[in-house]
Amino acid sequence: MKITKRNVVIGLLIIFALVALRVLWPTAKAEKIASPTARATPIDSTVCIAPTEYMRSHHMQILNEWRNTGARDSRPYVTADGKKFQKSLDTCLGCHSNNTYFCISCHQYANAKPTCWNCHLSPLDKP
Amino acid sequence: MNEERREFIKKTSIGFLAGIGASSGFFLNFLMEKTDASLWAGKSIAGTIRWGMLIDMRQCIDGCQKCVDACRLAHNVPDFGNATHQIEWLQKSPYREVFPTSGEDFAGQERIGKSVPSLCNHCADPPCASACPTQATFKRFDGIVALDYHRCTGCRTCMASCPYGAISFNWREPRHAIKALNESYPTRETGVVEKCNFCSERLLKGKLPACVEACPEKTLTFGNLNDPKSEIRLLLEKNQTMQRKPELGTLPSVFYII
Repeated sequence: MKITKRNVVIGLLIIFALVALRVLWPTAKAEKIASPTARATPIDSTVCIAPTEYMRSHHMQILNEWRNTGARDSRPYVTADGKKFQKSLDTCLGCHSNNTYFCISCHQYANAKPTCWNCHLSPLDKP
Repeated sequence: MNEERREFIKKTSIGFLAGIGASSGFFLNFLMEKTDASLWAGKSIAGTIRWGMLIDMRQCIDGCQKCVDACRLAHNVPDFGNATHQIEWLQKSPYREVFPTSGEDFAGQERIGKSVPSLCNHCADPPCASACPTQATFKRFDGIVALDYHRCTGCRTCMASCPYGAISFNWREPRHAIKALNESYPTRETGVVEKCNFCSERLLKGKLPACVEACPEKTLTFGNLNDPKSEIRLLLEKNQTMQRKPELGTLPSVFYII
């Protein structure tokens, strides 16, 4: 076949169509969901998630973040030293409910009225 | 027309087209919205999870309330004792209420006289999640239609949009109306809606939902609908099953054998 200008144009159009097809072809990779087993972290209440001093001043920020993201994003909370915790008030209460007045004694002194206990059972509510 | 000018326009336009074609492989990927092949391939995606339930009414005992009681205990569901304020996650309802559009108005009593367990269908295309203005109701990665009580403003749009009436509203303080308090699960407060969560808190610990565990027969089967080898898929293959109001296109994950 003679290489005419017409053949060159048709050839280029075919190449263009093939490239476009490759780009526009639907991929199974889109929105791939991570393995669900990696999301389940057992409640580990053997150690605190941060040093006591930091928790005293910042527990409200951490708990606020857990509250906002916990139900939606089931990935565990990872501390600076790599420990993983489930974002749940139960993670904290695993240790801290040992002292019935752990939360309330300080909140009462500071006149802080968190809404946690509207739904979650405080150590005081448990018989 | 000038011959050179005509040639110039022809060559530059060919070059332009070729340029787009060649470079599309490099950068057009970022400019275009990804297309998910699963939209064509049906709703079952291998390797992912979509929790589902199969309710075999041939084995369900008339008058047995063990699944309902187990659910109430597991999730601190209050019992106000009147229909206006009643809150239900799982309940046994008359057949005609569960399947009002199944075209069985004149079927025999042994079929439509039954009391059928009804719960949130955890639809693949949940109208409640679309309706929720604060995205408190949302579809999780594992197909469970979950409710984030922290975000719920109590507008009840989800209740209006749910064709199965599976969502209840807390008109009154629920904690006083709980018969037996389960310490391992929170309660709700006045002004939020609540519904079945497919026991996502138990699934996290590797346990089956409370109702499935409590059933004395093999009425309830729970499993991953996306796993072709799961028990629920084998049962769905072998038996003729039905969904509630399938004509609405909500694609429920709860199936029934009548």
